[in-house]
Amino acid sequence: MMYPYDLAKQEKEKFLVQQLNELTSRHLEHSLEYQAMIEKSGGFVQAQALNELPFIPVQLFKMMDLLSIPREAVVKVLTSSGTTGQQVSKIYLDKETAASQTRALVEVMKPVLGEKRLPMIILDTKSVLKDRTSFSARGAGILGFSNFGRKHFYALNEDMTVDWDGLRRYLDEHRGSRILLFGFTFMVWKYFYQEAKKQNIHLDMGESILIHGGGWKKLQDEAVDADIFKRELKERFGIQHVHNYYGMVEQVGSIFVECEQGHLHTPNYADVVIRDAITFEPLPNGEQGLIQVISVLPKSYPGHCLLTEDLGTILGEDDCSCGWKGKYFTVAGRIPKAELRGCSDTFTFDRKGENG
Amino acid sequence: MRLFWPKLLEWRDVVVDLQKKETLMPFHPQVLSFVQALSMRLIRMRAYPEVVALGYWLRKAHIHEMKEAWLEETKNRFVKSRGTVFHLAPSNVDTIFIYSWMLSLLAGNRNIIRVSGKEQLQTNALLSVIIDVLQEAEHTMIAERTIVLTYDHDEQMTAFLSSESHTRVVWGGDDTVKTIRRIPLAPIANELVFPDRFSLAVLNAEAVLHAKSEEKEQLLQRFYNDSFWFDQMACSSPRLIVWTGSNEVIEAVQIEFWSLFDQVIREKEAELMSAIQVQKFATGLALAAEVETKEFKHGTTFSRVSFERVPANVRERHCGGGLFFECKATELAEVSTMIVDKDQTVSYFGFSKEELVAFVEQVPTRGIDRIVPVGQALDFDGVWDGQSFLKSFTREVVIL
Repeated sequence: MMYPYDLAKQEKEKFLVQQLNELTSRHLEHSLEYQAMIEKSGGFVQAQALNELPFIPVQLFKMMDLLSIPREAVVKVLTSSGTTGQQVSKIYLDKETAASQTRALVEVMKPVLGEKRLPMIILDTKSVLKDRTSFSARGAGILGFSNFGRKHFYALNEDMTVDWDGLRRYLDEHRGSRILLFGFTFMVWKYFYQEAKKQNIHLDMGESILIHGGGWKKLQDEAVDADIFKRELKERFGIQHVHNYYGMVEQVGSIFVECEQGHLHTPNYADVVIRDAITFEPLPNGEQGLIQVISVLPKSYPGHCLLTEDLGTILGEDDCSCGWKGKYFTVAGRIPKAELRGCSDTFTFDRKGENG
Repeated sequence: MRLFWPKLLEWRDVVVDLQKKETLMPFHPQVLSFVQALSMRLIRMRAYPEVVALGYWLRKAHIHEMKEAWLEETKNRFVKSRGTVFHLAPSNVDTIFIYSWMLSLLAGNRNIIRVSGKEQLQTNALLSVIIDVLQEAEHTMIAERTIVLTYDHDEQMTAFLSSESHTRVVWGGDDTVKTIRRIPLAPIANELVFPDRFSLAVLNAEAVLHAKSEEKEQLLQRFYNDSFWFDQMACSSPRLIVWTGSNEVIEAVQIEFWSLFDQVIREKEAELMSAIQVQKFATGLALAAEVETKEFKHGTTFSRVSFERVPANVRERHCGGGLFFECKATELAEVSTMIVDKDQTVSYFGFSKEELVAFVEQVPTRGIDRIVPVGQALDFDGVWDGQSFLKSFTREVVIL
C-alpha cells in the first residue's frame, strides 16, 4: 500500500465528509464573508456525501480577500498567475496551513520520486524567484518542488534561451545518477523542446524523471496532447518518466499527480467531484464536466471546496492498474471564455482584457 | 491602420477627399435611397433579430415619418448639417451605434467611423452588408462621404481625426469616454458621449398578479427579449427588477413570475454557456457578502440577488448573462430615491402615465432618460441618453 494513496472509497469518503463538515463549520464561524455567502444562498446542513458540501467558485478569490484567520496570522500570500491586466487570486496562509501544504507536496510526490534528493534541473529562469514577497504560481511551484532536488540547475537564461553548454556540463557531471527535471508544461514544450528541435539538438538525459504542470491550454491550440508530449521528449532527450500534475494555487493540498498509467490521482486528503458544466449537478464517473476540488488542508481560508473552470472526467476509483487507491481522472482543459456582447467596454484604451 | 471603406487608398488622401465634398441637406433624397437599400438588406438577416429590428427602423415608411416630424419641427427655420462626424464604435459593432451613424447620415453629414481593431469584416455580418451597399454605383454620393476604418490604440490618430471633425460621437465604457475626452476636439466641434449606463424594470406586483394569463405570457416573452437579446449587456437591458406593492402580494407574484420565466427560457432553448454560469455563480456569491444583500438564488437559467436596499456600487458588479438584482418598494414614488446618475432606462408594467411622470419628476439625481413599457427596453429612439441625435448632428442658421 502506497501512502497517501491507500484509503479505499468507503473509508476515504467517511473521513473526508467528517473533516469537510468540520472545516465548513469552522470557516462559517471565522470568515464573515464566507458565512454571508453560504447562509444567503441556501445555508449549510451537515453533508452526508462529498457532493452535498457547499462549494464556491475559484474565481471568487480573484474578486475578494477571503480569510478565516486574523490578518496578523498570515505568514504567506500565494497569488495565481494571471495574464497581464487580469485580477489574480490571493490566498492567505497561516503557519499551520503553509506547513501542511509543504508536507502534502512531499507526501504526494514521494511514491513517484522516492526518498532521495536527486540532482535537479529546473526548466525555467532563476529570475522567477526574485520577488520573494509575493509568490506567483510559477515561483511557488518551483520553490515547492525544488525541495525534492539538490544542486539545482536553471536551464533557461533571462531571455528564455536555453543554456545548452551549461546543461551539457551538468549532465556530464551527474552521468549515472537519476536526474529530476521540473518545469511548466507549456514552457518545457516551447522553450526547451521546440528550441532543441529547431537547432537539431539531441540529448541523453539518462535515467531522468520529468515533473510538469500548469495546464495544457496553450498546447491544445497546437494540438499537442500528453501522448505526443511524452513521446517527443523521450525521443529527443531520452526522458523515460514523465509525470504531469494538476493543481491550483487556490487549494492547498490538491496536487494530483499522474501515475505511470497516465492518470491523475487523488490522495487521501483530497478529492474531486465532476459537475455538469451548465447545471452544476454531480455527474457519474465517465462523464465530462467541471472539476470540483476538495481538500482537508485549507484551514486559514475557505478554500476547502472549490468549483474550478477546468473540465475533466473521473475514470474510476480504487481500481487503477498502477495500484494506487482513490479516484483517478483526466483533465481536458479550461472552459472557453465567455464573450458577452453589449454596448459598453469598447475597443478601450483601458486594458482590462476581461469582459467587464 | 486599416481602411474598410473606401478601399485601396492612402488614408490621409481619403480624409482630404472626404473634406472636399459638400454636406447634404437633411433627408437628402440620395441618403433616403441608400438607407432604404440598406433596410431591405438588413430585414432579410433573420439570424440576427436585432439587425432585423434595425432594418425595420430604417424602412421607408418610418424614415418618412421621421422626415415629416423633422420638417414640422424646423418649419420656417434654416437648419444645416454640421459637417464631418467622427464616430468611435464600441468593440462589437453593435446595432445601437449604427442607428447614430444613420441619423448622422440623414442629417446630411460626412461620416468617419472607427470600428474596433477586433473587427474582421467577414465576421461582422452587419458591417459587411453596409460596405456592400456603399459599393453600389447608385450610392456614390454616400460612399464619397463615408470612411470606415480601424486602428489600434493610437492617440495621435484619434487626435488627427478629432481635429478634422465637427462632431465626435463616443460609444463605450466610462474609461474609454474619459480617455477620448482627453484628446482635444476642433474648437468649433461638439461631442456626444455614451458611457456605461444601467437599467431597471419596475413591475407593479398587483397588476402582474391579476393580469390575465395571456397578458402574463406576453409580459414574460417581452421581458425575455429585453433581458436576453444582448445577453443582458446592453445599457438598456434590465438588470434590476423593482417590485412595488405589499410584501405578501410581491412574494406571491415573485414565485409565480420567476417559475414561469424559467419555463420561457427553457422553451426558447437559449444557449447557456459554462463560463457565464460560473461567472453568475461567483458574482452572486461575492454580492452575498454585502450587508444589503438578503438572498442569492443561483439557478440554471438565471440567478437572482435580492437586496434590502440596492447599494449604488453593485451596478458595476453586474456580469450580465441572466443575473437579476431584485428589491421591493411600497409604491413607485419610493423608487425615485434609488435612482443614481448612471441609471438610464426604466421598463415598466402596470403603471399609468401620470404615475410615471410623477415618479420621474421626483428623481433627484441625473438618472433616467427613458421610461418604456416592458418589451421596448432595447428599442432605439432618436433621443438617447437625453440627447436628440438629429438636433446634435445639425445646426440652425439664424437668418433675419
